[in-house]
Amino acid sequence: MVSPASPLPSTTEPKAPPQWLQPLLMLAPAGVWLALLLVLPTLLIFQLSLVPGIRPGQVVNPSGLDNYWRIVQPDYFPVLTRSLFFSIGTTIACLVLGFPIAYWIALKVPKRWQNLVLLAFVLPLWTSSLLRTYAWITILRPTGVLNSILGKVGMPPLDLLNREPAVLIGMTYSLLPYMVLILYAALEKLDRRLLEAAADLGANPAQTFWRVTVPQSLTGIAAGSLLVFITSMGDFVNPEILGGASSMTVARLIYNQFLGATQNWGFGSALSMVLILVVSIAIALLLKYGDRSAAGGV
Amino acid sequence: MPSLTRRQLLHTATAIAAGMVLPGCGWTLGEVRPALSKGNKDELSLFTWESYIDPLLTETFHTQTGINVTADIYDSNETMLATFQSGKGAIYSVIYPSDYKVAEMIDKKLLKPLDHSRINGMENLMPEFQNSVYDPANRHSVPISWGTTGFIYNTAALNPGPEDWEDLWRLQAQLNRKMTLLADVREVMGATLKSLGHSYNATDPTEIRQAYQKLVQLKPAVTTFTTDAWRDRLLAGDLILSMAYSADAVRLIQENPDAKLRYVIPASGTSLWSDTMVIPVTAPNPDAAYEWINFMMQPSVAVGVTSRLFFATPNQAAFDQLPAPLRNNGSLFPPESVIQACERIIPLDPKVMELYDQYWTKLTSG
Repeated sequence: MVSPASPLPSTTEPKAPPQWLQPLLMLAPAGVWLALLLVLPTLLIFQLSLVPGIRPGQVVNPSGLDNYWRIVQPDYFPVLTRSLFFSIGTTIACLVLGFPIAYWIALKVPKRWQNLVLLAFVLPLWTSSLLRTYAWITILRPTGVLNSILGKVGMPPLDLLNREPAVLIGMTYSLLPYMVLILYAALEKLDRRLLEAAADLGANPAQTFWRVTVPQSLTGIAAGSLLVFITSMGDFVNPEILGGASSMTVARLIYNQFLGATQNWGFGSALSMVLILVVSIAIALLLKYGDRSAAGGV
Repeated sequence: MPSLTRRQLLHTATAIAAGMVLPGCGWTLGEVRPALSKGNKDELSLFTWESYIDPLLTETFHTQTGINVTADIYDSNETMLATFQSGKGAIYSVIYPSDYKVAEMIDKKLLKPLDHSRINGMENLMPEFQNSVYDPANRHSVPISWGTTGFIYNTAALNPGPEDWEDLWRLQAQLNRKMTLLADVREVMGATLKSLGHSYNATDPTEIRQAYQKLVQLKPAVTTFTTDAWRDRLLAGDLILSMAYSADAVRLIQENPDAKLRYVIPASGTSLWSDTMVIPVTAPNPDAAYEWINFMMQPSVAVGVTSRLFFATPNQAAFDQLPAPLRNNGSLFPPESVIQACERIIPLDPKVMELYDQYWTKLTSG
């Protein structure tokens, strides 16, 4: 242990942990975190999902897949479809709206203003999301802000609140800053010399955009879309507050199973597992096909 | 051999993790345990509805007893019970469940039997509240307020207005997308069952299906199902009618006397509800809980609750002291004949509840 030649008795040569242990030690804090807050709860939910109709106060005794059979009944199909519709719609809307904004901030705004503009853009995230959703009621309701403006410019009023458009507007508004931040990070690294080269070689702006800019920012597009899709699959605030009489989504259905009148935690857990599965498939697909450059680069 | 060691380690870790969870059958979901530390003598934690939050009450209580009151709020009995059972409940000494939830909590042995010798003024309760179906002889709960479920509508936009549940279907064209129903499966299904001449608590699958089919006809006219988000929009004219609890409706009418709003208790009957105060078995400070219950039972305090928060009091002594306009408010204190037609919501068998929930999911996703 102690080197005899050492002049100082305290300079013990610290025994390095074995090679295989080093990455484990570095990953340990995150690993413990993940195990306690992700793996363990997921396993618990999985266990509950195997108990048909379990309610609080009952003994957990896994006995089969009844809860899962219930999900594939036709009653629940529209719920899943609506969730996918909201999530995919929100992802597309965020991408279409977010890309020009991120492009503008990354390439057009002078460097010293960029951080300020970004800050201004994420500022709404500092207020409660519930508050922002309620603000949309004030804007969208029949006699609300939007319709008074439309009335002033001589346009017919829109009945948006408590319909699908309101939910899509609310979700897009909530998630747009995330999309912009991720796209900005990708576009900021864009190699501008390639843009100049494309222009020099005679590409028009549209060709440059589709064949130079988009391929280079594909990583950001994939990552941003994934984040927005996953988050909107789990959102129950917007469908609940802005949606109408037909706004049942998977996330709301899960909420109802745990905190609603039936208290069927078993069925709620099975629904949660399905939601986790859908999200996992999305991640797997993106890792396999959409995010090659990221996987190779990092 | 590092790689082998690593693999062994991984195997062991996985086995431990799986062993902790998967074969761990037989544990009880949501078992309620008392908090490890006993509560502070001068602290009382309430778990209550938002509508009952009143700073004047807690301040007066503090002056009288020196006990500090903190309150957490919930928006449905179900959320309350789930929160309570998922372990957060052990900090509360007084909870305000509604009638049918009291029955369920007694059944699950979550409530402390009350020592009536420590409560003053039980004899002040109106006779019908001395002995309730959900808690015989008030052994576990003290009623604090009661009311009905009905609808509030704009008399300027709808004249003559609806008088019964059936009228919602009759006036469907006028109410199109200008009406909200409660976000509560039992209330909405119950009201529809009542309009079909069945019980608010029907358990017959045929009757429940009939109610669902009738609701499907009404649904295109329903803007949304909400318990709270109708007030502003009713005042603004975006809505004409909302299904609501009497306490919420009366409060809105009292606070906006010019808004031409009216609360209706449906003629064929509706649900009658009471909110109560209970002491859970896990209460960290039962002494302060009794102090609070005694405080709320004082007729002068109950008068304040009714005149500030517009909850009907079950306390006869307080009722007698109320100003005449409140005492004669038919929406708050309906005549006996109206009450006779009403029913209390009672807990249903989980299988039947499942059926309600399935139809509710179908209704709100179709």
